[in-house]
Amino acid sequence: MEINEFNEAKIPLVRINKKLNKFKGKVLFQKKLQQANELIQRSKLPIELGIKESKV
Amino acid sequence: MKHKKYEYSADEGLHFYEFISIGKNGDIRKVVEYSEMNIDGYYNLAFGDFDERKNEINDKVVTNNGDSLKVLATVASTVYAFTGKYPEAKIFATGSTEVRTRLYRMGITNNLVEIQEDFNVFGLKYDNNFEEFIVGEDYIGFLIFRKTNSYGNK
Repeated sequence: MEINEFNEAKIPLVRINKKLNKFKGKVLFQKKLQQANELIQRSKLPIELGIKESKV
Repeated sequence: MKHKKYEYSADEGLHFYEFISIGKNGDIRKVVEYSEMNIDGYYNLAFGDFDERKNEINDKVVTNNGDSLKVLATVASTVYAFTGKYPEAKIFATGSTEVRTRLYRMGITNNLVEIQEDFNVFGLKYDNNFEEFIVGEDYIGFLIFRKTNSYGNK
């Protein structure tokens, strides 16, 4: 891939920082995750509402 | 994204991202996390400040570093990175406070046209139903996932 193609790519190039691997298996935002699970569990998901997913 | 964003790095699984917010209150380390939810294929997006002294994350602090658009654009970029690796992932996000949720809504609104080129975007209403994201509507959460065939998938 040419440089200009890299720049135009929507998927960004991500620099890997192995120091961040220390977070693997952990949940840093525990309360936020709990809150999100509660919200999702009591909601009707788009598929349950019959909302069709758009396609490209 | 049309807005400027910070450079960031990630763990090898692309579940955790880190960048430095540079603004009027100094340099602040930010962490973005995608964690698995109770529903298979759903991930919760969360981000906040890394407190260097306490060695912990704070997602309630109002940094007020004068760069919220740039921070949001950076977080949005991680959505592209994460779904680049996990194209089937459905990403849910809600703010830790109503103010933070409105900030998320602003970030989506400001980039909606571009986001919708590749993603389905839904808002979770107060009646616990999702609807396709409507600019100006109040939501308590957001659900974003790739459109089929985006990036050549499926």
